[in-house]
Amino acid sequence: MIDDGQSTPDAPARSPDAPARSPDAPAPPRLLRARDLGAAASRLLHLQALLTPERMQGPGFAFAMIPVLRRLYPDRARFAEAMTRHTAYVATHPVFSGYVLGAAARLEAKRAAGDPIDGVRIDAMKRALASPLAAIGDPFFWVVLRPLAGLIAVLGIALFGAADPYEPDLRVLLCPLLLLLTYNAVALPTRWRGVGAGYAAAESPSSLLHALRFAEWREIFERGGAFLYGALVALLAAGLHAATSAGGSGVGAFGAALLPLALGFTAARLLLRRGAAATVETALTVLTLATLVSLAF
Amino acid sequence: MIADFLRIAFLGGMLSVDRAAGWNLMLSQPLVAACLAGALVHPNPEWELWALRIPIAVGALLQLLLTNPALPAAQKPHDTATAGVVGSTVAVLGMAHLHASIPASSAGLLWVLLGVLAGLIAAVLGGWVQGLNRAAAGADSRRAVALAAEGDAAGYERLYLGSLVRIFMLGALWSWCGALVLLAVAMAILPRLADLITVRRIGFTFAALLGGAFAAAYETHVRGVKGGVRWTAAGAAAAAALLLTLATEGA
Repeated sequence: MIDDGQSTPDAPARSPDAPARSPDAPAPPRLLRARDLGAAASRLLHLQALLTPERMQGPGFAFAMIPVLRRLYPDRARFAEAMTRHTAYVATHPVFSGYVLGAAARLEAKRAAGDPIDGVRIDAMKRALASPLAAIGDPFFWVVLRPLAGLIAVLGIALFGAADPYEPDLRVLLCPLLLLLTYNAVALPTRWRGVGAGYAAAESPSSLLHALRFAEWREIFERGGAFLYGALVALLAAGLHAATSAGGSGVGAFGAALLPLALGFTAARLLLRRGAAATVETALTVLTLATLVSLAF
Repeated sequence: MIADFLRIAFLGGMLSVDRAAGWNLMLSQPLVAACLAGALVHPNPEWELWALRIPIAVGALLQLLLTNPALPAAQKPHDTATAGVVGSTVAVLGMAHLHASIPASSAGLLWVLLGVLAGLIAAVLGGWVQGLNRAAAGADSRRAVALAAEGDAAGYERLYLGSLVRIFMLGALWSWCGALVLLAVAMAILPRLADLITVRRIGFTFAALLGGAFAAAYETHVRGVKGGVRWTAAGAAAAAALLLTLATEGA
């Protein structure tokens, strides 16, 4: 149903010498153009601006679908019906939302062309695709890749080392860039491919889900995170040793520096075990406790 | 300073949109936010170099402390997007304005501590501010459904883009207010505590906070990972071997 200057398997063939349409005949279906899908994909960047518990990303999904629906349904009543359909509850991972949009656009295009596809089937396909994609995307992008990108940037701070005291410290630009590149090297290509892949696989969402290898990547990235955490600990210990031995105070000073570090680590771990989601409260508690203890000497 | 705060407000707005509207380019991660704020805030010329160094430390600590392994739905509604901006701004401007009244800053560690504290408080208070957006989104969502049922595409788009502007404005306003209020509080309180602030105390508190940051990172990257401790040990061994090799070659 994409009219991009090339014929597509779904596009209704029309010979150049076909008879002219009679005035009473229904208008031929309008074909979806690549630029309509492109406009819809770009709107997915704002998918969550109207996020609510009742409809989750539904209003954002409908906003993204407007270029597609406007093209397919010039008739206001049919447009309104389709818009109402797409404002319904949908919850997926933002990076994977293009897959759902591509598949929904394909089914809408078929429906507009007169195929026997009703709104219930489009809704069912969205749910069948959106929820599993959320189940794949949330643990991969939120739980593993995002923290890993942050850890790599922090490791970069330790590895690049401080610049000359009289020169600008370029780590202020390099390390954030490292974080952005690490995350977006995976996320942006996935977003980019999404609409096209979803459009192509609208009839068989299960094949689309099987083709995604993020569960396997997740294990690799998790182990990579643990490995890099170990490297960061070693770099911290080396840095601490260098800082304490610079004054010639040796092992005693190293132990004295290690003590508050160990206290902070232990207190935070105990607090985090009680409520893993309360990271800010834990940090504030550790900071308060450390300040109070420091007043003792 | 007015220009600084305008830049900070714009940055805070953009980062809020990145986090809340779905861009998710990770511009709103605390390290990125703190470093961008550090690059945008310009204290007096004699502090220009420090203005680049302190945000790195503030951002790194906030990055480790605020990284939460839980899914977003299971997290408390803290605003981690603007925490780095507010923390970094308070640290840099606090250093420029308070260094004369607090001589013991322990090579800038005091300002890092101040920035991290401001960032953590900003994350909690910013979460409350974001509650305003959530409340408005509920009402807008109902209006959007009505517009969709009428087939009013232009009205729907206006409403939706209005919600984007609201996210930006709230983020901008909160970054501006949060940084200003927390800086004012620091300027009012810290000079009165100058006698209590010693190099040893700053060092102790900083080290304990660093330990807390490593504990948070442990929860995220090691706990719950299959063979996590073994991989951590392997990483530490590899880094130690690399450091030893470099030290030997240097000698």
